[in-house]
Amino acid sequence: MARFLLKRVAMSLITLWLLSVIVFTAGQVLPGNVGRAMLGPFADQRAVDALNHEMGTDRPLLVQYGDWISRFVQGDMGRSYAYRAPVAPFVGNALANSAKLALVAFLLVVPLSLAMGVMAALHAGRPVDRIIMVAGMSATIVPEFVSGIILILIFGVWLRWLPISATWRPGAGFFGQLYHLLLPAIPLVLILFGYIARMARAGTIEALDADYTRTAVLKGLPQSTVLWRHVLRNALLPTVSVIATQTAYLIGGLVVIETLFHYQGIGSLIFLAANKKDFPMLQAGVLAVGCVFAVASLMADLIYSWLNPRIRFGAGE
Amino acid sequence: MSEATAAQGAASTPEVSVAQERRERLGQLLSSPTFLTGAVIVVFWAVCAIFGHALVPYDPLADDMLNTLLPPSREHFFGTDQLGRDVFSRVITGSRDILTVAPLATLLGTLGGTVLGLAMGYSRGLVDEVLSRVVDALLALPTVIVALLALVALGTSKLTVVLVIAFGFMPIIARTVRAAVLAERELDYVAAAKLRLEGPFHIMFAEILPNVAPPIMVETTVRLGYAIFTVATLSFIGFGIQPPSPDWGLSISANYGLIGGGYWWTVLFDGLAIASLVIGVNLIADGIESVADG
Amino acid sequence: MKASDALIELFRRTHGEVHNQLIDSLLAGRLSRRAFMRHGSCLGVSLATLGSIAGGVGLVAGPRLARAQGAGGTIRVAQNAPASAIDPVKIADGPGLAILSYVGDFLCFDRNDLTLEPMLAESWSPNKDGTVWTFKLRQGVKFHNGKPLTADDVVASIERLADPANGSNALSAFTGYLSKGGTRKVDDQTVAFHLDAANGSFPYLVSSDNYNAIILPADYAGNFEQSMIATGAFKLEKYTPQVGASFVRNADYWGGQVAPERIEATFYADIQPQILALQGGQADVILQAPVLQSVAVLNDPNFEVISLPSTAHQQLHMRNDMEPFKDPRVRRAVALTLDRQKLVQGLMKGRAKIGNDSPFAGVYPMTDKSVPQRERNIAEAKELMAAAGMANGFETTLTTERFLEIPDYAVLVQNAVKEIGGKINLNVLDQGAYYGDAVYGKSPWLDSVMGITDYGHRGVPNVFLSAPLRSDGTWNGAHFKNKDYDQLVTSYIASLDVEAQRATAGKIQRLLLEETPVIFSYFYDYLTVVKKGMSGVLTTAMGQLLLAKATMG
Repeated sequence: MARFLLKRVAMSLITLWLLSVIVFTAGQVLPGNVGRAMLGPFADQRAVDALNHEMGTDRPLLVQYGDWISRFVQGDMGRSYAYRAPVAPFVGNALANSAKLALVAFLLVVPLSLAMGVMAALHAGRPVDRIIMVAGMSATIVPEFVSGIILILIFGVWLRWLPISATWRPGAGFFGQLYHLLLPAIPLVLILFGYIARMARAGTIEALDADYTRTAVLKGLPQSTVLWRHVLRNALLPTVSVIATQTAYLIGGLVVIETLFHYQGIGSLIFLAANKKDFPMLQAGVLAVGCVFAVASLMADLIYSWLNPRIRFGAGE
Repeated sequence: MSEATAAQGAASTPEVSVAQERRERLGQLLSSPTFLTGAVIVVFWAVCAIFGHALVPYDPLADDMLNTLLPPSREHFFGTDQLGRDVFSRVITGSRDILTVAPLATLLGTLGGTVLGLAMGYSRGLVDEVLSRVVDALLALPTVIVALLALVALGTSKLTVVLVIAFGFMPIIARTVRAAVLAERELDYVAAAKLRLEGPFHIMFAEILPNVAPPIMVETTVRLGYAIFTVATLSFIGFGIQPPSPDWGLSISANYGLIGGGYWWTVLFDGLAIASLVIGVNLIADGIESVADG
Repeated sequence: MKASDALIELFRRTHGEVHNQLIDSLLAGRLSRRAFMRHGSCLGVSLATLGSIAGGVGLVAGPRLARAQGAGGTIRVAQNAPASAIDPVKIADGPGLAILSYVGDFLCFDRNDLTLEPMLAESWSPNKDGTVWTFKLRQGVKFHNGKPLTADDVVASIERLADPANGSNALSAFTGYLSKGGTRKVDDQTVAFHLDAANGSFPYLVSSDNYNAIILPADYAGNFEQSMIATGAFKLEKYTPQVGASFVRNADYWGGQVAPERIEATFYADIQPQILALQGGQADVILQAPVLQSVAVLNDPNFEVISLPSTAHQQLHMRNDMEPFKDPRVRRAVALTLDRQKLVQGLMKGRAKIGNDSPFAGVYPMTDKSVPQRERNIAEAKELMAAAGMANGFETTLTTERFLEIPDYAVLVQNAVKEIGGKINLNVLDQGAYYGDAVYGKSPWLDSVMGITDYGHRGVPNVFLSAPLRSDGTWNGAHFKNKDYDQLVTSYIASLDVEAQRATAGKIQRLLLEETPVIFSYFYDYLTVVKKGMSGVLTTAMGQLLLAKATMG
């Protein structure tokens, strides 16, 4: 167990380091330079040079990268070029916002798609099953901004039930925040529903066929008990891995939803940083998403093995 | 986690029945209502992309500054946008660019991903290890973010969009192919080919590839749906199809600010068009998948 | 002798030759009231004096804003988030400069009629050739930390901007006129600016027109966001990057009682949620509402739109040194295809003024209005194309930025040019990519064959005349090189006499119509949206928002 964990953590660290190199290289080919991006096109070239010198962005690339990574491993994420302030609070704040939205989406989608997945499995092959599966996969592939726009039109503009901006008033409480996050969460629910329902369906069908289920039924346990005790756990299994693989998307890939609903999450932070050539911010943002992804995959493996003792660590590698 | 897909490719079939089986599968496909519905939708938009310009009542690019933002009427079925262009004509002709860019990107991505996946799965060892790490690093980031960073760096044109999406798809397809190859490479026919002293390229492309074709086919159709998804999304953020194209994602991006003022017709029809196209492709993918799974 | 005549006599006796020419022009009927006020204010004559003189010769002022009632309370401003840290030296964006205008003051203030109003300076005057300008400071002004304002603070503030080592955004405005060391203290209440070259409009460079030029304490050492110590009507309470800021009334404000108790500014990433916040009662003011995105509120009876004619515009440049635009006849033909009335009505919803292919917007008092307006004329355009040997048209690429209505404008240009056989491909870039490094050879903006670039408002056209159009200009995307033009601009900028300015302006306007290196089809209004019933909100086309006298009504 410990060896497995150690190996996984080491792998994740290598992946993250590779990511930092990729982003750094990508950051260098972004057009324009930092001082120019900050002062705007109409600033005097001497002023731009002075600013670049002040921020150290006129040094050789390798020196800049070395400087950045040696600070980073000491826990210093650096200072934003654009905001001339430490990067950490910005990333932390954006990450928290993204996590809130992702959480609302998960809380809505997991029970719903599990229920639907199990229902489809119980009616496997019949029209209910086909409708749930085809509708679910179709919803998955409609871009967020399309479903988002249609939702805004219906609930925000015509019915006026929900606010069409995800950003709540400063000081809003739990319900105030939830109220603002409902509408933007629905497109995410639509995106994830198909995956999770499909996985849950597959898990359920497998469980329904399994020996232990047959035994339980033969023992005369009521159907609902069999479902709860044996089938649901199996339906949950593949769901966990879907959630893990989708976490990175849910945390970092919501540029579109964040744009549409005017929400300050980590996706738009990365996008904005890339536009402004704000390299420390870009690095920190991308690595934060990478970390979330790594942690989520690790957690998923652990939960998976906890739910399913038959899997032995390392057997899959 | 992804090893599960390996099972799909494992079922190798005796060569004699290949042609017959193909015919059978095609028959199954053509009798599948999901596949047929999807095909009808996609063919409709393909026809619009090719012949739409000749069929629409107005030039989709012609502005009319004295008739901007008119609501739907008998003259303009879907109203006009803020440059006075006819929304109906734009929606009908709006599929051309996305139906060029997305399939090209998918095709390129599939080719690259298959080669990469074959190499990784067949060679294993160091090559596999290194490439897997890089693929993992790339997959740790959402596709949209990778695409955005690349497009900011390279500048936006149809070509760069094709390349960026293809590049983004490569690791995903490579993973699927690698998993399928891992299962295949231990089978007898590979061992037999090795005994015949066939070169690695021959084994990879002539022996293994035909046997992992079904999962690749399924993955390609699924990817096509995502390619459309991604192109539309990139256009919406401003990094995909460029003006003055009547592209749907682009139109929504230009007009969504107006819906608060009640000008819903400038975005609703484009949205429905995108939704119908991606759903159509998805229905086709679903049909192919259920047939491929047997 | 009428009272006004006595006043004029008194004025003549107490003022120099330059001022007397101004009076002559006014009396001879060659100047409108607005032009007279504007020019006089630039020369440092107090607005009260100018008003009585103008009133004496029968030019009556417009109605003044009603005195504010019901002071107090909090005003909630919705605005875009500043693009970077708030640093008065480096600020280069609208949302950022608005923050400066809440807390800081300038030596003088560029009013919406383009007259200068004294702020921290009480008066100013040039020497005879306009190379030295002397400013007298207001007495009794205190910074937010209680220290009194002195000439040392003013010298330090302006020198900080003029020093190339500081990465100052104002450097490009000062270049050629004010260098490091040019700002000198005369005594505690007087500062003299020694210029590198004569400039009849110099006070605009230390006014709100140069938004970096707020006066800070001499010992300012950066980190402005922490305290924002300046002299303005509001003091910083709290600033949170990307989220918002709050300010409280400055009880010691030199300008008298400040009406609102507090300002709360909330930052947004985009205009759309600001409109929703206003509609939902969560905001009282939208700092700036671009016309295309604001169609929804422009006709809403619950809101009022403050529409300021500005000189902000989109320049459509054509490379004078590259095909297909080497021949001025081709450039003129392109300009003739545009229907400017329709552009203003349709694209800008009437919230813009037509341009005549020179920086001389109609709102500038020195613009020569006798120069004929260029109208759409396809027949003439086709003749010009044929004469230039391009009867079959041309193909080229229009490169531009994704900003405001520019992509739509580009599409309209593309469509219009089709009429003379021009085929234009569009290449719309992200703003950062379009400007690139902003130096020749490394910037699509400066290198493209054809491009559209946004230019912000300026109280005087000097910058528009120089940087994008002079042979040595640093923003000359058109690569327009014309010796006659350069000389005209030099003499225009140096002249202190409004009639000489206007005469030169006329020559410049005609030359630019002939050459058409850049198409100026419209100058758009600066729109601020407020809740119905609010009064006393003062905005500038530059982007400043002055709320000292604002009340909720």
